[in-house]
Amino acid sequence: MAIVELQQVRKVYDSKIAVDDLSFRIESGSMFGLLGPNGSGKTSSIRMMIGITVPDSGQVELFDRPFDRKYLHRVGYLPEERGLYKKMKVIDQLTFLGELHGLDAATATKRAHAWCEKMEITEAIPKKTEELSKGMQQKIQFIAALLHEPDLIIMDEPFSGLDPVNATLLQDTLVDLRNQGRTVLFSTHRMDQVEKLCDAICLINRGRLVLSGGMQEIKSRYPKNRVQMVFEGDASFLNNASVDSYKNYNGMAEIKLRDGADAQNLLAEAVTKARITRFEVMEPTLEEIFIEKVGDRVDA
Amino acid sequence: MRNVWLIAKREYLERVRTRAFLVSTLMIPLLMGGGIIFSTVTTRKAKPTSHITVVSPDQQLATDLQKELEGGKESRMTVDVISPGNSETRKTLDSMLVDKQIDGYLIITPGTNGSQRPTFSYTPRSAADVVTSDTINTALRNVLLRERLTHQGMVAGEVDSLMQPIEVDTTQAGRKTDTTSSYVAAFVLFFLMYMVILLYGMNVARSIIEEKTSRVFEVLLATIKPEEMMAGKVIGVGSVGLTQVLVWLIAAILLTGTSLVTAVAGNAVQVSLSPMQIIFFVVYFLLGYLLYSSIAAALGAMVNSEQELQQLNMFLVMPLAGCMFALGPVITNPSGLFTRVLSLIPFCTPLIMYLRISLAAPAAWEIALSIVLMVATIYGILWVASRIYRVGILMYGKRPSLPEIMRWLKYS
Repeated sequence: MAIVELQQVRKVYDSKIAVDDLSFRIESGSMFGLLGPNGSGKTSSIRMMIGITVPDSGQVELFDRPFDRKYLHRVGYLPEERGLYKKMKVIDQLTFLGELHGLDAATATKRAHAWCEKMEITEAIPKKTEELSKGMQQKIQFIAALLHEPDLIIMDEPFSGLDPVNATLLQDTLVDLRNQGRTVLFSTHRMDQVEKLCDAICLINRGRLVLSGGMQEIKSRYPKNRVQMVFEGDASFLNNASVDSYKNYNGMAEIKLRDGADAQNLLAEAVTKARITRFEVMEPTLEEIFIEKVGDRVDA
Repeated sequence: MRNVWLIAKREYLERVRTRAFLVSTLMIPLLMGGGIIFSTVTTRKAKPTSHITVVSPDQQLATDLQKELEGGKESRMTVDVISPGNSETRKTLDSMLVDKQIDGYLIITPGTNGSQRPTFSYTPRSAADVVTSDTINTALRNVLLRERLTHQGMVAGEVDSLMQPIEVDTTQAGRKTDTTSSYVAAFVLFFLMYMVILLYGMNVARSIIEEKTSRVFEVLLATIKPEEMMAGKVIGVGSVGLTQVLVWLIAAILLTGTSLVTAVAGNAVQVSLSPMQIIFFVVYFLLGYLLYSSIAAALGAMVNSEQELQQLNMFLVMPLAGCMFALGPVITNPSGLFTRVLSLIPFCTPLIMYLRISLAAPAAWEIALSIVLMVATIYGILWVASRIYRVGILMYGKRPSLPEIMRWLKYS
């Protein structure tokens, strides 16, 4: 079942085309990454999924049906920029947002406390939002999106501005939620983050789809033609016929193989000439795939 | 409806808890009470209590004047009489003036023949003491008039009744009212309404801008409709205004009702509110508030910062300011054609019609029509405003275009 489906969606602001002919679907129970450099149309796409804006043309489907606001209480949304009342106390704020999503005040407060404990920010509960650090505010916003136990969780750049420890905490929480059967969609411009987290991705650039599909399936489309090795001794094996090009940093080499070449040939020759401490055939990274597809630099 | 209620509740509680709310709610009644007491005290002081000396060869005139100045309606002066004076009197009085024993002296020189008026010369210690010399002036006129009339053969009692000030009873549509107090009450409420509408209308706009800059609306819009959000804001901020006005009204009733104030202020300063005035005040306040805050909400949705709002807030202030300028003709002729037309224009209705109800008695159909017109206008503005709001709230740095608004209208 497709939890979210976009069909030939197009959105134009003034003369700038934000999203153009974008189609993809998100399967139920998956962790989906929406990728693209800054200004590629990620936020615009997300806003159309939750009815904040309306596509100029094309269709948005939610929970297998044409978009309808009444399904929105099943969606949890974390906007890219913090959207919290500065002067309001954290617990009041969470309760208020929980109530807006259909919870009664008591349940909302109870869950807010539980979540704050889980996210290790119990000390923030009685404080005003403006007294909190950016990272803490981000966690509050994160909790606000989850209080009503939504089936679909949509997060726009959830890890931006977080230190590695907190980013990992959020990532682990998202994985937990996915394992509970919920569908998670998040956007990011950091492609390295997605590789280990996502089941499926959609990569967009300048409002257009670059590629989409399952993570493994996408990677398998691209040849494993890179080798990283560490060795001691004679480096002449690097001139092996299967090597297209290489860089040798004093016993640590990055090698690009010729199309269709077998890394085993290279390894066999290397063993005869040098002492090998590490030999690894590398999967292409998403960033490399992106650069190959778009022929453009990605600003990280 | 639940969402509207939630938004309104949050808005109300957050605002009522602020120190600014507490201060402004308490300050106004304090200022009101202070103002009443201050004006009472100052008008009391205005009855001159100066000590003067009258020098007159005409003993009778001097005594009459003394009686008038010491026991008259307008003064509580102390008067010494020297009759007749001699050549040394003036010198003595001058030195008393310097020693601050008296505040001034009056020398009366009789006319050369019987029909000629005497001449008067008053020497005050301070030329700034206008009140005393004015009082002496009035007292002299009264004394001379009474003397003349008695000379013409009138009995003292007749003279007194002739000299009573004339009082005209004003009846308003059959019921007898105290004109002064209904004027004062109407004015107090007029300005209260003007202030509150302006203040809280602007608060709606500000609260929307705050939500735009803090980006909270994005979280809210992911669950609720823009109309619900706007309605909640207008109601929430409005309830804060109502709470404040309620506190003020109760304070006003307490202030005008207590015998203490009446005793201190005397009947002239009493401000009384009839139940009708209070009911219509609430009705027109609510309608006026809804009208102006919907305009404010639309303005708030169109702009990105308070600075930009300042440029647009003339749309909010202009109709209200127009009503202020129209006050003159409205008050001099509360039932004239100009006033009647003006009171039916929805933007002026809350102020002008309210004033008319307080000062004259407009026909019931006029009141009904004004309310119907206002409700219709409010509905229209809310409808358009919530559309502008939906579009405007997501615009960054640009005003919504007409085709965009049209597209949003189709989608609900």
